[in-house]
Amino acid sequence: MPIGDMLLRSVDDGQINTVFPRTFEEYKKWDREKDELPPEIVYRTLFEELATGEKIQVGRALTRMNYSKSGWKSLIKKTSREIKKMTKKGEIPESYKDTLIQINKDWGDPTFWYSMAQMLNTKTPIYYWNAIDRTYDQDQNVIMQDEKRRIYVQTWLKTLKVSVYVTFFCLILGFPVAHLLANLPLRYSNLLMIFVLLPFWTSLLVRTTAWIVMLQQKGVINGVLVWLGILSDDGRIQMVYNETGTLIAMTQILLPFMILPLYSVMRVIPKSHMRAAQNLGAKPATAFLRVYLPQTIPGMSAGGLLVFVLAIGYFITPELVGGKDGKLIGSWIAYHLKTTLNWGLCAALGAILLGVMLIFYWLYNKIVGIDNIKLG
Amino acid sequence: MSKLLKVFLIASFAVASFSAKAVTVASWGGAYTESQQKAYADTWSDPSSVQFENYNGGLGEVRAQVESGNVTWDLVDVLPSDAITGCDEGLFEDITSEISSMGIAGPDGESIAEDMENNGLEYHSGWDCCVPQIFWTYVVFYDPDAFPGEKPDSMADFFDVEKFPGKRGIHTWATGVIEKAMVADGVKPTAVPTVLANQTGAIDRAFEVMDRIKDHVVFWSSGSKPLELVSSGEVVMAIAYNGRVGAANLAEGENFEYIWEGQVLDQEYLCLTAGAPNRDAALDFMMHASSPASQAEQAKYITYGPMRASGIPIIENNEPWGPGGVNIMPHMPNTPERLKVSIVSDPQWWSDYGAEINERYSAWMGN
Repeated sequence: MPIGDMLLRSVDDGQINTVFPRTFEEYKKWDREKDELPPEIVYRTLFEELATGEKIQVGRALTRMNYSKSGWKSLIKKTSREIKKMTKKGEIPESYKDTLIQINKDWGDPTFWYSMAQMLNTKTPIYYWNAIDRTYDQDQNVIMQDEKRRIYVQTWLKTLKVSVYVTFFCLILGFPVAHLLANLPLRYSNLLMIFVLLPFWTSLLVRTTAWIVMLQQKGVINGVLVWLGILSDDGRIQMVYNETGTLIAMTQILLPFMILPLYSVMRVIPKSHMRAAQNLGAKPATAFLRVYLPQTIPGMSAGGLLVFVLAIGYFITPELVGGKDGKLIGSWIAYHLKTTLNWGLCAALGAILLGVMLIFYWLYNKIVGIDNIKLG
Repeated sequence: MSKLLKVFLIASFAVASFSAKAVTVASWGGAYTESQQKAYADTWSDPSSVQFENYNGGLGEVRAQVESGNVTWDLVDVLPSDAITGCDEGLFEDITSEISSMGIAGPDGESIAEDMENNGLEYHSGWDCCVPQIFWTYVVFYDPDAFPGEKPDSMADFFDVEKFPGKRGIHTWATGVIEKAMVADGVKPTAVPTVLANQTGAIDRAFEVMDRIKDHVVFWSSGSKPLELVSSGEVVMAIAYNGRVGAANLAEGENFEYIWEGQVLDQEYLCLTAGAPNRDAALDFMMHASSPASQAEQAKYITYGPMRASGIPIIENNEPWGPGGVNIMPHMPNTPERLKVSIVSDPQWWSDYGAEINERYSAWMGN
């Protein structure tokens, strides 16, 4: 249900159409080739719909209008106030067009009118276009967003890149650890397991902050390197507040999600398999590659899928340690959810995220087979 | 039924019925909420019935509560642009008449609105649903030890890495940064909002100034960060919330210097959620919290300035106002001479252009 609701919201533009139904109807008849500005009747219907519109409904509509073009909010609010004053006094304008332009010169600015083209339908794909840096021009053709505002495509690519890298590093680091844990006698491995679980249970923010302390330029690692004479005092490495920091911190935080499924799979692989392979003449490396590794695939895929899915929606850690590169797609979803209240765009971003995950799931199913997944 | 279970059920019922009576206030947490607890709740007629809940700003949760009809927050502490949007969208209740009938007047009978106007503010639709709290600012600060010779004292210095080498700490969203860059470009601080609103290309100018320091910036996203960045020497100057700097100086023995020029004053409001479950008690609490006395009281615990002009003389005439005999006025952002070099952020303009500018800011940050 919540997913269905999200998908509906991502294409819904109904509310505004209940506020300005007549204006939109007249607007559609405007011949932009012939007239620079909409005809008198559009100004008139807008005037009347603002005069009779319920304050809260208009308020919600103008939040939405502002997504299409910044400035709508003030324009409508100031105009509404003047119109209410006029209707109270019983004044009826001779020319609605001139009156509105007199109230605010922006009514004579065709770009405001052009942006209205984005709102005319109760179902709209505009949020999906916005989510990949596209928008509509005045004739509802899809065009690229203004160059200075193009951020989403770039953020999508960055999010994917970070998630793939983090999954890869988790696998590289997690595999030997899980192998060690699975093959040590129980009393040692339990002790070591605590070292895996302890950070797993520690607050995310504590671990993130700890990484900042370790990695910053005046931090522990740089300090030690300078003290050892490996780095000069001016040559301190920038390891945090950039993508490196994001990768290091996210890998460490998500590592247990790789180790635990791997461990539980490796635990039940009989040790006799490796011995048998070597007995039959395989070199240790061959035995590992041909006998042991294939049996760990269910664990690797479970861990990999878990880490990837968690990483792709991550945003708190990247924001804290990522500096200028710290905004992943999750940050933007949170931003639009909370600050701009652009829930349509939020839903579209979320739906695309869901789609990306489904594609990866499908690919995974094609390559490895979903029945192969094993958490323990 | 086991005895333990019974005790548990009764206890949870007791908790449930208790919280049903409480006025729930959503606020930002930390030292700020603590100061609200001490200055507003503890001085109110029924202190124990006020319950603070932490949230991270924005109207997302409020809208979700109102739309679902399951409202649990009576009052929400919000930024002015959210006060405006929330009031326009009906997420907050229009209480214009309650504010004028129940609001606590200043010593000369000033209404809440008049008192705010005396502090240099202009009416916006947030005033219909919300009462004023504090002025807080985005201010630049530094550790004087980092500058043995000449010390920076202007926005031009902040944006000049040749004159004052070293990294700068800046937040990851645009509010405040844009205005400061305009001042560095030579615009008179008090004129910045007008220039931004009326001059084409003003934003481009701001971004050009910001380009000068772009390769020397550490970006932060949580309020405690700039303090850590400056005290660890990671950056030499940073933009921060002035309350955090004040707390470090007053309570932690730091010796940070402020650059008041180009500080960006922003407002903070307490708003009544539409359909608040404890509306009457919440209204009473809001009026108490917005009285000049309460606002002055809050300055004891955090160095944010009263939004009502009549709160300031209460502090001035009773110095040392701070705990332990500390003078508070030197840390207040909105003294008359500081206001002359300050920018009062225009919430209506940010509410119009904020989303677009923040997208551009992010693109600038990432490239």
